[in-house]
Amino acid sequence: MGKEKEGQELIVSRQILSIPQHFSTGPVMGRFLAELRDNKRIMANRCPKCGRHQLPPREVCAICHVEATGWDELPPVGTIRDFDVIYYASPDPLTGETRQVPYVLCWVDLDGTQGDAPFWHLLDVDDLSKVRRGVRVRLVFADDRHGTTDDIRHFEIIPDEPVEGGIAR
Amino acid sequence: MNEEKDCAFVVEGKMALPYQYFAGAVGSQFIVSLRDDKRILGVRCEKCRKTFVPPRQTCERCFASLADQWVEVGPAGEVTGFTVIRYAEPYQPKEPPYVLALIKLDGADTPLAHILECGDVHKARIGMRVRAVFSEEPKDTILGIAHFEEERP
Repeated sequence: MGKEKEGQELIVSRQILSIPQHFSTGPVMGRFLAELRDNKRIMANRCPKCGRHQLPPREVCAICHVEATGWDELPPVGTIRDFDVIYYASPDPLTGETRQVPYVLCWVDLDGTQGDAPFWHLLDVDDLSKVRRGVRVRLVFADDRHGTTDDIRHFEIIPDEPVEGGIAR
Repeated sequence: MNEEKDCAFVVEGKMALPYQYFAGAVGSQFIVSLRDDKRILGVRCEKCRKTFVPPRQTCERCFASLADQWVEVGPAGEVTGFTVIRYAEPYQPKEPPYVLALIKLDGADTPLAHILECGDVHKARIGMRVRAVFSEEPKDTILGIAHFEEERP
């Protein structure tokens, strides 16, 4: 633990605290996560008033403030709306291990959403120059699924698919 | 809606908080003395006539450097306050219930927080005379003092 510096031993304590968390999904996120886990389906809920999809789903439409009761399955393909390239090596909260950098997080508009669903996840890509707005991506499910957002392993770029010009469609 | 309510479940997760604590030159000397010599050191500001335990680099009143103004204190002292820990969580130094006490060591003017072992938590009292019990194994933390116990007359 300690190390010598000019004859004096200096004490350094290194620890990783691991704090258990319990996230209660509630009925709406529960259905979304259960469908991911059991059926590998992406379910968005729909506002009965304005018809927009919410993804991830939430109980109330953020715009109309009415209960969003309808459900629709969305295809596991979409378009990159925005992205971040992360160079800061933060710890993975589940393991405490430092993440490998750089990695890419992207906001994907799944086909069928209206461009206002902030659906972010990892993008698995070997060449950062390929990451651009409008790039078409598909979703890769994890083999072991436990009802968390990690049941989606990541997005990956669909090869040879034309890049969409605009951000919104 | 009943069908939806059946979908609710609990996701178990974790939050990891890596951290490093650097004791610094003064704090390191304090911990090394506990570990190697079983001596409790404080620093004294002669101008303010105040002895700080645990030691600090500068006087809180006159800001003079106290880094080499070492004095030995204790190992006995007096309880100036205490609380009983009754909840359990990881990273606690021991199983609850136990007493965490503020102890003003003989020769010190500031109290040191540490575990007080007095058999039954109900026996803890302010004004109680206590004595440091040093750890059998070398520890690079404040647990170089294992705990305090009631001083036998």
